[in-house]
Amino acid sequence: MGTATSDNLTGSLRAWQEGDLAALDRLTPIVYDEIRRMAHRLMNRERHAHTLNTTALVNEAYVRLLGDRQAQWTNRSHFFAVVGQVMRHVLIDHARRRLYQKHAGETHKVPLEEAELMTTERAQELVALDEALALLREIDQRKAEVVELRYFGGLDLEETANVLGISVMTVRRDWRAAKAWLYRELNRS
Amino acid sequence: MKTERWQQIEAVLQQALDLPVADREPFVRGACGEDHGLREETNSLIEALGQAGDFMEEPALTRDAEVLVTALPDRNVGRTIGSYTLVKRIGAGGMGEVYLAEDGRLGRKVALKILPLSLAGEQLARFQTEARAVSSLNHPNVLTIHEIGSEADTHFIATEFIEGRTVRELIDEDAVSIEEAVDICLQVGSALQAAHSAGIIHRDIKPENIMRRPDGLVKVLDFGIAKPNRALGTSFSTPEHQTEIGVILGTVGYMSPEQARGLAVDERTDVWSLGVVLYEMVAKRLPFTGPTKMDVLASILERDPPILETGRSAAVVLILEKCLRKDRSERYQSVAELLANLRYAQEELSHEAHSDLIGRGGPPWPPLVGLRSTQARVAHKLGRVPELSGQSTSRRKAVVVATAFLVLTLGASIAVWLWQGRSGISSQVPVQTKLYRDMTTEERLAFIDQQEQRISAMMGDRPTRLNRDALQAIEKNLSQYLLLVEPDSLNDIVQRAVPYVPLIAKEFTAQKVPIAIGIYLPMIESAYHPCEESQYGAKGIFQFLPGTARQYGVAPHEMCDASKMTPAAARYIADRMAELGEDAQSMTLVLLSYNRGPERVRNELRELRGTANFQRNFWTLFAHRERLDDTFRNESAGYVPRFFAAAIIGENPQVFGLNTPPLSSLANR
Repeated sequence: MGTATSDNLTGSLRAWQEGDLAALDRLTPIVYDEIRRMAHRLMNRERHAHTLNTTALVNEAYVRLLGDRQAQWTNRSHFFAVVGQVMRHVLIDHARRRLYQKHAGETHKVPLEEAELMTTERAQELVALDEALALLREIDQRKAEVVELRYFGGLDLEETANVLGISVMTVRRDWRAAKAWLYRELNRS
Repeated sequence: MKTERWQQIEAVLQQALDLPVADREPFVRGACGEDHGLREETNSLIEALGQAGDFMEEPALTRDAEVLVTALPDRNVGRTIGSYTLVKRIGAGGMGEVYLAEDGRLGRKVALKILPLSLAGEQLARFQTEARAVSSLNHPNVLTIHEIGSEADTHFIATEFIEGRTVRELIDEDAVSIEEAVDICLQVGSALQAAHSAGIIHRDIKPENIMRRPDGLVKVLDFGIAKPNRALGTSFSTPEHQTEIGVILGTVGYMSPEQARGLAVDERTDVWSLGVVLYEMVAKRLPFTGPTKMDVLASILERDPPILETGRSAAVVLILEKCLRKDRSERYQSVAELLANLRYAQEELSHEAHSDLIGRGGPPWPPLVGLRSTQARVAHKLGRVPELSGQSTSRRKAVVVATAFLVLTLGASIAVWLWQGRSGISSQVPVQTKLYRDMTTEERLAFIDQQEQRISAMMGDRPTRLNRDALQAIEKNLSQYLLLVEPDSLNDIVQRAVPYVPLIAKEFTAQKVPIAIGIYLPMIESAYHPCEESQYGAKGIFQFLPGTARQYGVAPHEMCDASKMTPAAARYIADRMAELGEDAQSMTLVLLSYNRGPERVRNELRELRGTANFQRNFWTLFAHRERLDDTFRNESAGYVPRFFAAAIIGENPQVFGLNTPPLSSLANR
């Protein structure tokens, strides 16, 4: 049993997975809300929790939006994939604007308060990572997906394996190879 | 780079990475032959990985949380819902987001909580009914609810807006004196008293849910609203629980033992949680802690909190002791009793402030029901409360018991402290420096006792200190496990179980069977043989006799298939538990029922009738084994100790020199 809204959400998730790009536009604001909520919790009230776990937060977001009765793997997988992708877009956009603002010497593009939250180094790292990830995607799409789900989507090995339908061992191996490859790419002089 | 080339490089890279560091370079040289490009690529990747350290290890969500909060637009700000215009977001939690809003009709500020979309149907109706009940309380310490409403798909609750700080913030800023702590608890208690008399239990008293206005007035939030799921507690730390609203992250520390066990709650649960909050405000730390959620729960169920040495108020020490009784029949039975003692503490503190002399004067201590030996001793030691009357022999006994209690508590708290101190926050794995094989016999027995209590508590049994006889039964099994295989391959065997733990956790939770049974049973069942090697072997999964397997829908050729066997095993054990009925609360009986069938368990239990339910634990069965029939005696003295031995290895791999986290911690992943 889901609400009308969660049914729409399910439909959008499916449409997006089937290649309907407009569906992602419909999903993005909802996912924004969830990411912001997760980030808010991470930032504030849960800072005492040693057991802090981003996978749990993403799972919780899923349950909140779609209800626990809709815990079908396909829906979950689509949702987690969207979260990873949206998260990457948000951060990279922000990093780009941050760097643009610095280079252009403009201060009105990004409010100062907002700009200060991300260091230039971090912005550079994110932009470089995104570019390297694009290269990795060309030669090994699955590894790029593993990185998107784990690093941007906050999923752990097990959940990443579930989403991609591969074994945990494979995720572990993909992760270490991708990490080596991306790190080398980012540190090429 | 071409895909084919990358695949070639990766193949060498992965093989090399599986080798010890020293062997990698020679391997790569051999594997690449004349292909120097391949060799350089592989070596540079190995080198990069070596330097990468924690690169990308912290998810961006955590690392850039602050950026995300600010950078992402909030669709709700500026939106009008009902007569409320949302101004800014002031909080977010499992049960929805809270906004500061303007009430257009009355021109006042309100706090508007938007409920999650997934809350629907019966759940939503129940939620709203309870919110209405709370709104009728009309108590100064209960946050006033203005409206429970909805617009289109959005359900919301509008409450008074409090400009103040949460007790969480006050604690973090170290801004609560003991006097203020007592005052806050008096006000919270007053709110609870009103709610309880209206039949409402809060269930989630914690510092985040208590606010103090600048004028000192305290408000309890989320009354009857933030409600931990009722299904919680059939097992611990399962993936499902991570998604349970309100249970996730950090809130387990305030849970009562009955909540942790998933039992029905009553007002005494709120008494416990308020006790935890008081403890935290006074001690500046939580009474029950641990590096993982599971450890916290185990601590709540089995540990006594470190004794508080306030030096300021003997009454507060006693109040805490009485709030934090594991057995709720030993706690304050009503908030009224607690309030009486809190008022005493308040007087005591103000008296002390005037007389400036500890141990002199003070108001008379109000009558305390059920003041036990520990309290008496602590009180007596502090010279504030008269000793309980009673026979001198029983008093002497009480003092002996109390002394033993104190020694044990202190011992335990020091052990916990050492253990936490070593483990740190970054590593979730408790570190124990001494290897099992280096321990003396006495140390081994002490270690086993400690672990048996922890594991029993995780599974719902009431932990009991074991005598030497019982300890040796487990010790013998541990030695057998260690002898069973060469030390090196023990690691492989535990590792073999690792990938299956999440599956087991999922299936067992679905069947409401403690996951600990799921995790450690296969270790006994398999005698560590992988499935391929033995008809009854397992590789971290369950095995049945073929007939049983068929009965549970598993064909003979599927008996090595974890995805088939695990749910079947969970269902099988759930069925055995259902047959056991109330006796299923004892893990030992569940284990025996699993192995011997419920009928035999029931017959044998008749022999032991008259013992309280909690005594049907391992220790009682073991102690009374002479009264049991041969099979049952052997099972109690053999199979169950073996289970504990498996669990002790699985939960303390580092003590056995194994390179894996505790198996139960993997249930989270």
